[in-house]
Amino acid sequence: MYPLTRTMAAASLALGLGLGSAQAATEIELFFPVPVEGKLAKEMQSLIERFNASHPDIRAKAVYTGSYDETNIKTHAAIKAGRPPAAVIMSANFVLEYQIADEIQPLDPLIEADGKTADAFMGQFWPALHGNARFAGKVWAVPFHNSTPLLYYNTDHFKEAGLDPAKPPKTWADWSDAAKKLTKRNGDKTERWGLMLPSNYDYLGWTMTALDMSNGGQYYNSEYGGEVYYDQPSMRGALTFVDNLVHRDKVMPEGVTDGKAVSTAFFAGQTSMVVLSTGSLSFIRENMKSGYAVAFVPANLRNAVAIGGASLMMPKGLTPEQTKASWTLINWLTSPEISGGWSRFTGYFAPNKAAYDLPEMKAFLAENPDAKVAVDQLAYARSWFATYNTVAVRKALEDEVQAVLSGKKKPLEALKEAQAKAEEIMAPYIAATAMNLPK
Amino acid sequence: MTIVATMEDSIPETAAPPRPRRAVARHDRLALTLLAPSLVFLILFTYWPIAQVVLQSVTIETFGTKAVTHGAGNFVRLFEDASFAKAVGNNLIYAVGTLVPSIGLALFLAVGLQEATRLNAVLRTIVFFPVLIPLVAAAALFLFVFLPGIGLLDHYLGRLGFAQTNWLGDPDVALASLIGLTVWKNAAYYMLFFIAGLQAIPRDLYEAARLEGASAPQRFTRVTLPLLGPTLAFVAVIALVNVVTQVDHVVVLTKGGPSDATNLVLYYIYQQAHENYDAGKAAAATVVSLAALITLSVLSLRTLERAVHYEA
Repeated sequence: MYPLTRTMAAASLALGLGLGSAQAATEIELFFPVPVEGKLAKEMQSLIERFNASHPDIRAKAVYTGSYDETNIKTHAAIKAGRPPAAVIMSANFVLEYQIADEIQPLDPLIEADGKTADAFMGQFWPALHGNARFAGKVWAVPFHNSTPLLYYNTDHFKEAGLDPAKPPKTWADWSDAAKKLTKRNGDKTERWGLMLPSNYDYLGWTMTALDMSNGGQYYNSEYGGEVYYDQPSMRGALTFVDNLVHRDKVMPEGVTDGKAVSTAFFAGQTSMVVLSTGSLSFIRENMKSGYAVAFVPANLRNAVAIGGASLMMPKGLTPEQTKASWTLINWLTSPEISGGWSRFTGYFAPNKAAYDLPEMKAFLAENPDAKVAVDQLAYARSWFATYNTVAVRKALEDEVQAVLSGKKKPLEALKEAQAKAEEIMAPYIAATAMNLPK
Repeated sequence: MTIVATMEDSIPETAAPPRPRRAVARHDRLALTLLAPSLVFLILFTYWPIAQVVLQSVTIETFGTKAVTHGAGNFVRLFEDASFAKAVGNNLIYAVGTLVPSIGLALFLAVGLQEATRLNAVLRTIVFFPVLIPLVAAAALFLFVFLPGIGLLDHYLGRLGFAQTNWLGDPDVALASLIGLTVWKNAAYYMLFFIAGLQAIPRDLYEAARLEGASAPQRFTRVTLPLLGPTLAFVAVIALVNVVTQVDHVVVLTKGGPSDATNLVLYYIYQQAHENYDAGKAAAATVVSLAALITLSVLSLRTLERAVHYEA
């Protein structure tokens, strides 16, 4: 009601004076997805109301656009239709595609107009987040909320199996030992699994990135969107490790396990350890009946995981007023105070480092040590894979890993096929870039 | 409703009284005027998009250039794509797997519950319940029914001594799980048509059959089934259309996985359009599936209807 009355007031004022001098508020739209539970949508609406109240010259409208994938589809559609939103909260690894398609604007001119350097601007955010926001020599996105995969384990089960709940597994060797001790069998029936990893599409790509990076791998070429390293030793080791857990040690269920099934099994005590997003922290905190703790994803060669989450980006084709208003909104949404509040509400960590210096945040971390582990792991986090046609290239790997999980293929042949398929998908981009040679 | 339509269709052409030419023209104009509002929307939202899809399917775009050529390239790439072949194969299994049991079950339920007693009314309502739940909601529910170990299904099977099954995560089982969900969801809907069809069969035919000494199974195969022909044809077409157009459960439960084991053609089209940004291939697949659907509908309606009308 409030924005409507204000437009009417502005309109009547403009009419009454018969002049253009009464400046109407700049209208902008923000597309936002809700990746987890539904109450986030309401929280976003109230955030935008706060923004509008404190910025009378701007009238922002938050448009709920579904999941990350749906938001991606709707943003593409809006841009194609010539009515781009002023800002979008986009899955951080899809930003590259918009840059490749020349559909978003670099933020460097806006940063410079504020009297800052790109380095100083990006310096506000955790280093792990830079790769998905600043690439090809320019700043394309501003981190909004982020996550990493985390090891969650049932401390009651640990005690029962004679493991020390204060000493979570740090290496893959410890990890598989713990999983063996935690698995409970009754004849040929498994009553409790040692470990579960989410392996549905989307989640699986992220899970495999974490394992590949923990095994020294890169997963993809972070400098060039036409290259992935699916058939390299680091990935082969990671997939063989998973294959062994399922088929040799039988401490993990065979086939694909959906992320939702993983959290449900964890709540039900059907699995002792799981790898899930830090974005699930609040959800697990609210629903887990028995004791649990969180730890870094165990390492084989090094501690490393990929980030997840979303960034704010600005499509091309906005008026100068809209661009300015959108930039104001983006800076407001990523400021320490707002960023911190959103982080405490959702469980995602705040990209803005200064958010953690605020007293509310310090109190929150003291109260929730699990949230602190998530922040600490950031020191070892890396960029999220992003290529030409990210989803399809990711699926090329996921299909083959799922075949290994289901016992249909062995890691080596599966990864060769994944690599071939990925290259086939990226072929048009490769032909137009790395293989576009002087004639 | 269908029955009426088919009856009308079956009236011989010659039976129509000859009309003067001008009356026909006026009649047509009136019909056109009355149809105009819906025709406008039909053209805007059905025929125009179809034309666009056909155009898109022969338009070839290359990444990095603005140049556009026309040809059958999208179709060639489509038929070379193993994932498309897999999706078509899955769709065929899914079609047979859902059509046969759900129509069989629907017929069985309709015959069993056709008498309008109070108990039957209650039973019909209970059986009809799944139809009232939207497919998306049903799929979201079945996510928990299908959970390995703790889900409803495994919980009770476990008590009977069965081992745990990964209903949605095992590529050998996942499609069958989706088929089971679809049959559960649709059988009662088809039952409704059969009950209506059964009500239209004259009682005296059964009387006559009984007098001739026909047993219950004979009465079913000789009287009920042939006279239900038009309904059967209609239901078969509806079911076939559902097989191609309803993939909500795929989206909610498996996203076509594991390893494309539950990928159906419509979801494949979605993937091409929105994950691979391959509008040409998506359009080609749409044209192919539309053509298949139209052919199948025409064929099944014709053959089934012809099989019926051996009127005595």
